[in-house]
Amino acid sequence: MADLLRTFVTGSFGLLLRVFLIVVPIMVALELFEGTRPFRAVVRAWARVVRHVGLDERSAAPTLVGFLFGIAYGGGVIVRDVRRHDLSRRQVFIMSTFLSMVHAIAEDSLVFIALGASIFWVVVYRIAWAALVTLALTAVAGLLVGRLRGR
Amino acid sequence: MDSLHHTDASDSPAAGPPAEAAPSLGARFKRDLGMGLKAGLQTFWTLARVMIPAYGATLILERLGVIEWLARAARPLMSLLGLPGDAAVPLIVGYVLNIYAAVGSMQALDLNSRQITVLAIAILIGHNLLVEGAVLHKAGANGFAFSALRVVAGLIAAAVANLLMGLVS
Repeated sequence: MADLLRTFVTGSFGLLLRVFLIVVPIMVALELFEGTRPFRAVVRAWARVVRHVGLDERSAAPTLVGFLFGIAYGGGVIVRDVRRHDLSRRQVFIMSTFLSMVHAIAEDSLVFIALGASIFWVVVYRIAWAALVTLALTAVAGLLVGRLRGR
Repeated sequence: MDSLHHTDASDSPAAGPPAEAAPSLGARFKRDLGMGLKAGLQTFWTLARVMIPAYGATLILERLGVIEWLARAARPLMSLLGLPGDAAVPLIVGYVLNIYAAVGSMQALDLNSRQITVLAIAILIGHNLLVEGAVLHKAGANGFAFSALRVVAGLIAAAVANLLMGLVS
């Protein structure tokens, strides 16, 4: 029991430190660069890609953060942007589905590539799969919502 | 505009921020840096409040032997992915704990590169479900449903990949 507590305390500390060291710089960088032209160009380019799974321009930045750094950090930016400019439930649903299937593309993938997994399957296939699942679930959810409204 | 700053929202209502006559670069930098730090700390606090309890729950599940129990239950499923029954252990370790723990327990197995790739796909899609599910929940999605989705869709993705790799080779 005592060792469980110790694991919890040291583990929590490590987790918090990690989150802190990633979240704070991401948020500062977002705030500093969000208005700049290169940043907007990157987000717009990314928005043109994720438009195909139904995400609008306002969802592009949180999705990009999650895609690159991980679900926790993307989730953090989603929480911020939901508060700031009222992302719709539909957009949050699409983002969550997409990021559920693929996130932390570099770090997570590299861990398995180092172990001998094929880069094509863990990166390209997974992104394609994420797009497919997102489109399929959004369509299903759309039908369900439509049917509920129809009654 | 931003409800994020509850503290100073009250003194500047609908009018928004006071009209600044083109703030200097330095002033703007300082203001953005301040806002970034504030948003960063706020997000950190939001994440900490959901991640730490989820992490505690994870440790307790591990201690109770839930991982071994689930791994035994999942053994028969592994053949659908072209994997040995023992591969259920890293898969469940990944679901409950995280990617690094899963990789650690994969190292104990003797898998070929196709099997490593198939298992990697399932784990990359579904892992650290309690902690990440809690974050998704906080972001306004149903954390439980999305965790279930990650397990099911991850297994299907892995099975499909295994079939396709069989066709190619």
